[in-house]
Amino acid sequence: MAGGVGSTNGARRLTAVAAGALALVLLAATLEIVIDGAAGHSPLIPKAPQIAGWLSSIGEHLGFRVFLIALVAYTGAYAGMLALARRLGSRFAIALTVALHAVVFVGPILLSTDVFSYIAYARMGVVHGVNPYLHGPQSIVGDPVYHYVGKDWKTVATAYGPLYTLISYPLGFLGVVGALWGMKLMALLASAGTLVLTWRCARTRELDPKAAFVAVGLNPLYVIYGVGGAHNDLLMVFLMMAGVSLTFARRDAYAGAAVMGAALVKATGIALLPFMLLSRRKLAPLIGAAVAGLACALAAYLAFGIHGVDVVAALNRDAAFVSTDSFPTEIAHLFGKPGVFPVDHTLLKAALVAIVAHLMWRTWRGYDWVAASGWTLLAISVTSTWLLAWYTLWSLPLAAVSRDRRLLVAVLAVQALFIAHQTAPLWAPVS
Amino acid sequence: MASVNGSPDTPLSGRFARLPEWARPRESERRGLGSLRLAETTILILFGLLLAVATVNDVARQTRVNHRLIADLHTWRVASGHNYHNLTVYQDLQGHTTRDTVCGNVSPGAPKERTQVCVTLVGATVKGERDITGGFYLPPLSENEPARRYACFGAAVAAGSCASGGPPAGSPPAPPVRLGLP
Repeated sequence: MAGGVGSTNGARRLTAVAAGALALVLLAATLEIVIDGAAGHSPLIPKAPQIAGWLSSIGEHLGFRVFLIALVAYTGAYAGMLALARRLGSRFAIALTVALHAVVFVGPILLSTDVFSYIAYARMGVVHGVNPYLHGPQSIVGDPVYHYVGKDWKTVATAYGPLYTLISYPLGFLGVVGALWGMKLMALLASAGTLVLTWRCARTRELDPKAAFVAVGLNPLYVIYGVGGAHNDLLMVFLMMAGVSLTFARRDAYAGAAVMGAALVKATGIALLPFMLLSRRKLAPLIGAAVAGLACALAAYLAFGIHGVDVVAALNRDAAFVSTDSFPTEIAHLFGKPGVFPVDHTLLKAALVAIVAHLMWRTWRGYDWVAASGWTLLAISVTSTWLLAWYTLWSLPLAAVSRDRRLLVAVLAVQALFIAHQTAPLWAPVS
Repeated sequence: MASVNGSPDTPLSGRFARLPEWARPRESERRGLGSLRLAETTILILFGLLLAVATVNDVARQTRVNHRLIADLHTWRVASGHNYHNLTVYQDLQGHTTRDTVCGNVSPGAPKERTQVCVTLVGATVKGERDITGGFYLPPLSENEPARRYACFGAAVAAGSCASGGPPAGSPPAPPVRLGLP
């Protein structure tokens, strides 16, 4: 008996030491990226107003090598934390997540110029009276935010939903720096909301809430790319999780409205709705979604005209983009092709339709609709020829609260492959 | 993708009762879906393996490209005699060949701020360098566009790469870079 107690205490101590060491790795890796990023002049940090100047004298310019070593170390520590998640203290897990979010929040924008597109679209509307659904940021060349917009996006009209565009409009009045902090705060709050809902949904489903919380809140792509880049995907994910949570609470109309809200931030959020309807087999979520959709469509029509309602055109345009990180491009390279062709887009769409049809049938026959939604979002990101790190976050919280544990394994595996694909500069640094 | 909650089947009455059993909606999954779950898992694993192989292959491919780019940069530095770090490499992304063009300033300054000399490199990497087949010059603050190129040499002359007549007024001398391995 005494030996049993002793060995239990020993195991606890070992867990505490391991968790502490892993937490230090997570914090050190994040600090390294943020502090070196604040020094500026890095290919990984977009050109931006100096918002983290007080950090700039501490670090050195963030190069690919240091960034990738930090990212790989972070990912390794995250894997360790996942293994220990059930034995971690709740306060420890929450405190660590808050600390990582805080470090990223006070630092510079990481790895993406998207936030400047958000700000440009807002300023186009409220400062310059230009419709962001008709024109790209090129129409406000004289605006201070224009120089920070990614060069590929200067001529591109917004593809984001009208709800997001309307939410972002007030930030346009704050100037570039004020809007940037506003966007960062919105991403931080959306992330916090997602984590609270992930915890609550996991508990409702009698899953370990700590494990679900750790899987999302410490995730490297979530923290460094998602929160670090202040991406609006976090807001979409938050509204999706609100839909899930409200469904669990049997507030179906509000759940439908929340999912429609997610879709009106970013259209992919709509993926949850058919599965929710098939699972609940009630009119309430449909009515909630329809009311929310109509209300927002009316507001969008008044604010942006018919173009604010036509998200399909924007989706079709973006679906044709190709990124080097997309899995279809990698598979094309594997088979000796230089890249994806239009016929591949058709094949990928057909595959996606088949997957969604299978999942809908399974949901009709009793499969977990949350998991089916997660698989669909994962399938969208894997079959997309335009894959960015934050697209792999769409299905992460759903996977964390799904009854099908294969989904979480699949999401994490896809993320691991995404990170592995970034590592080429480690083996052959070009300088 | 079977449910793991193991909740008992709930008979559905009303609207869907007239449907055959296999088409009726269910509150939870029927037991005995092991073969379907196995088939799904097998497909997922096979697809995951395909993605993993494709990823590793792509990292290896990108690493080879990076080694080529390292050789390109080294060749430009040796050929120009300038050990500058801010060089621009233009890859043949449309033709998907290994022909690269590297441009850099002919005198110290910020990237593209001075007159740039560009060399086109082809072939295999030999001792960290590649063959120079030709090249051209660009005025300060210019992108690599045919209209801006002048003083073509080597294969660039035959390819008609220089649409511009001559060097802009006040340009520094634009001697041809020696072709072949530097």
